[in-house]
Amino acid sequence: MSVETIAVGLGELKGGSRPEQVLVCYGLGSCIGLALYDAIAHVGVMVHVVLPDSSLSRGQLLQPGKFGDTAVPAAIAEAVKLGAVRSRLVARIAGGARMLNVVGAGSKLDIGSRNCEAVKAHLAEHGIRLAADDAGGTYGRTLQLFVGTGRLLVSTVGRGEREL
Amino acid sequence: MNLTHRELEALYDIVQKGLNDSSRALSSMTTGGIQLQEPHLQFLSLGVVPNVAGGPEQVVIGVYLGIEGDLHGHLMFLFTPQSGLRVVEMLMEMPPGSVTDLDDMATSALAELGNICGSSFLNALSDRTGLTITPTTPVVVVDMAGAILQSVVTELYLNGDEVLVVETGFNGEIPGHYLLMPDQTSMARLVAALEEIE
Repeated sequence: MSVETIAVGLGELKGGSRPEQVLVCYGLGSCIGLALYDAIAHVGVMVHVVLPDSSLSRGQLLQPGKFGDTAVPAAIAEAVKLGAVRSRLVARIAGGARMLNVVGAGSKLDIGSRNCEAVKAHLAEHGIRLAADDAGGTYGRTLQLFVGTGRLLVSTVGRGEREL
Repeated sequence: MNLTHRELEALYDIVQKGLNDSSRALSSMTTGGIQLQEPHLQFLSLGVVPNVAGGPEQVVIGVYLGIEGDLHGHLMFLFTPQSGLRVVEMLMEMPPGSVTDLDDMATSALAELGNICGSSFLNALSDRTGLTITPTTPVVVVDMAGAILQSVVTELYLNGDEVLVVETGFNGEIPGHYLLMPDQTSMARLVAALEEIE
């Protein structure tokens, strides 16, 4: 089976329902890769969340995937559109790192941890279970969601790979 | 960012002068003489910035400095691991191939490169505009280009969608990216200062 890789860029939201599809967030730093998956319908959605809240934006809201508060409902809607059942959706997240160690952990400028908290809070608010997370630290992550199996692979530079 | 032809020219002049000063400072530190290539100025949408150094997953060495004072923004040097080590050899005046990994010595050499280039560049900017601009202490990081750049871009996302990216290389043979990314307010301030010079 040939693999169809779909890159999910900054602020983008992509979904898939074909087994050969792999949704990938390359090089996540402070951003969050949010994966939603329905294991029965074999439908997956991946979002590359950049900022915690859309109130931070001064421009018009063109990309719902960009912000934590808008990304979660948009991802749910996309999954349902592709045939997933809302109550079966399970979330996993990775990213939210503090890449440049100039900002103190937990500071207002530590966007990584704010992104992470925001996405978790909005998942809870929308009643989506968070099954696993691999967030924080000071290193980048690439996140791959295999639509056929639901396997979610986190790869790093010098810190190996792990499954979520 | 809408700049008039004249503003763009003034900006290019300042960047060129800043890079010349960086070049000179680097050369005086090494006997070999390090030269920075002609800069290439571009306004890029933030979404594509993480792709500038060979794709978001490309492993790079990044030397980062924050810009503080009247202007706020980021300075970043990016090298492939191989090029980064070559730059260290040039700085330390060691034969090619003698530096094989990014140990403490190599890391501090790159931090020093950041310091020298960053401060001479910002000084040039400051001299011509009258603005007070200082760099923060450099940070050296090895990771995926996307992850490194993303952290910088994210903060810029709060204010706008485009950044000024200056690219250059070292001595022609060593490709490197030198990114100057002022935030949106700082760009406006910089342009205003440029207008006064004219």
